[in-house]
Amino acid sequence: MSHGGESAPLVPNLFDVCKVLTLAILGLVDAILDGIGAAIPPLGPPLAGLSDFLLGNFVVTVVTWIIAMTVILLWATLFNLLTVMWLERKFYSRIQDRYGIMISIWSLPFWPFNRRDRPTHKGTGYLQNVADGLKLLQKENLTPATADAAMFHISPVLIASSTLMLLVALPWSSGFYIARLELGLLFVLAAFSLAPIGILIAGWSANNKYTLIGGLRAAAMLLAYEIPMILCAIALVFSTGSLNLFDIVEQQERPLIDFGLFAIPAWYAFGPQILGFLIFTVAMVAEMERIPFDIPEAEAELVEGWTTEYSGMRFGLLFGFKWLRMIAGAALIVTMYLGGWSGPVFTRLYVGNIPIPVFPEELYFLVKVWLLCLVFIWISWSVPRIRIDQILQIGWKRLVPYSLLAVLIGAGSRVVRP
Amino acid sequence: MVDWELVAFVALSAIEIVASILVVTNKRLVRAAFWLAITLVTIGGIYLLFRSEFVFLIQILVYAGTVPVLLLFGVMLTRRKIMDEATVEGS
Repeated sequence: MSHGGESAPLVPNLFDVCKVLTLAILGLVDAILDGIGAAIPPLGPPLAGLSDFLLGNFVVTVVTWIIAMTVILLWATLFNLLTVMWLERKFYSRIQDRYGIMISIWSLPFWPFNRRDRPTHKGTGYLQNVADGLKLLQKENLTPATADAAMFHISPVLIASSTLMLLVALPWSSGFYIARLELGLLFVLAAFSLAPIGILIAGWSANNKYTLIGGLRAAAMLLAYEIPMILCAIALVFSTGSLNLFDIVEQQERPLIDFGLFAIPAWYAFGPQILGFLIFTVAMVAEMERIPFDIPEAEAELVEGWTTEYSGMRFGLLFGFKWLRMIAGAALIVTMYLGGWSGPVFTRLYVGNIPIPVFPEELYFLVKVWLLCLVFIWISWSVPRIRIDQILQIGWKRLVPYSLLAVLIGAGSRVVRP
Repeated sequence: MVDWELVAFVALSAIEIVASILVVTNKRLVRAAFWLAITLVTIGGIYLLFRSEFVFLIQILVYAGTVPVLLLFGVMLTRRKIMDEATVEGS
């Protein structure tokens, strides 16, 4: 692997970048206050006190935190979520060979797609999801007459907040993160495990047999697949010796076998952890309720399962956050097994004295995450849905023993090569 | 100077006590399970105040994520009627 330089993130430190933004905003406010104070002299002293307070340590820290959280939220939803939804709709319309989101993939304006003999359309369709979101925002929020209203309204909040908790610990590069937790892996798994109770409450509170069956199925499935996931994480910890996601990525930033011209990187998916990688990926697909495992919301028999009675933006929230969970799950798999943000070439461009990475870590991470999402989409639009008893059989009778085997292999590899 | 850890401890304990009373007094068992989850999460918060993040995360992972769901399973698989009676006005 030819490292053309040190690996570098585009955002060296999220909080430093946000602090610059905060200071700029507060400096502007300060200048406006000074101007008002100069124009109206009696207001001068109190305004000076106010601007002192605004530029104090407390306000700067609080505003920096708020801006950092907003940045990570917009990054996850406005950029990643919309892009992955767009990719999915493009991709499945190609798989099903039909006109999808603005004429399938044939409207993409570059080489393999812009063929003369294919139907084309001017426009990429990226804003289709925004339009759908706006449509959902305008719809009425219905509550069924017999529903338990408090629980019915609290369960989307539970599901959405537990999904947003994932973003606290998930790093997007070595500099672009909210919190650098010592137990980051455990935190992400714990945040994933909070969803079943919200789903079950959603299914029960609507007081509808379809939602109830969907909620029960979802809870049974999520519980069954959480166990192999956690066992695979245990197997991985035998190799990493750390639950810190940054340490796990750092350990994968070296070549496994160097052929001179190119090298196989030491990703955990290529070592003795390959069994754990496969089981973790399958369990993660189940955790996202994507098609081979989407029996909780089988639209043909259960009319969207536990989300049947939700309407308007509540449904939009539940529906969109399913994609957010997919992105977070793919990001977790990439971090744990596929090398995270490590990549082959890192070169820097110097603008004055400031080094700007040409292939920043965020780019590698995003490419890996989106490719993994595409694999999940590919699977989910080309295989049929399986029955709930088959799902539980695969979960309890196959994945749990295999993940125990993965723990054994992980421990054995640790003994053989410490 | 306010001792913020004490404030957090008192607030978490108050929520925990109220939620645990609601667990045993609530007529609807699914709501009871919800309050049980709140109780277990606040206990996790108290572990966090003791600077033991590992126990906190295990508490969330095992107790808050799984135990209420198991309780709900018990409820839903043993009771004859899970849903409320549908009483639509005018019928």
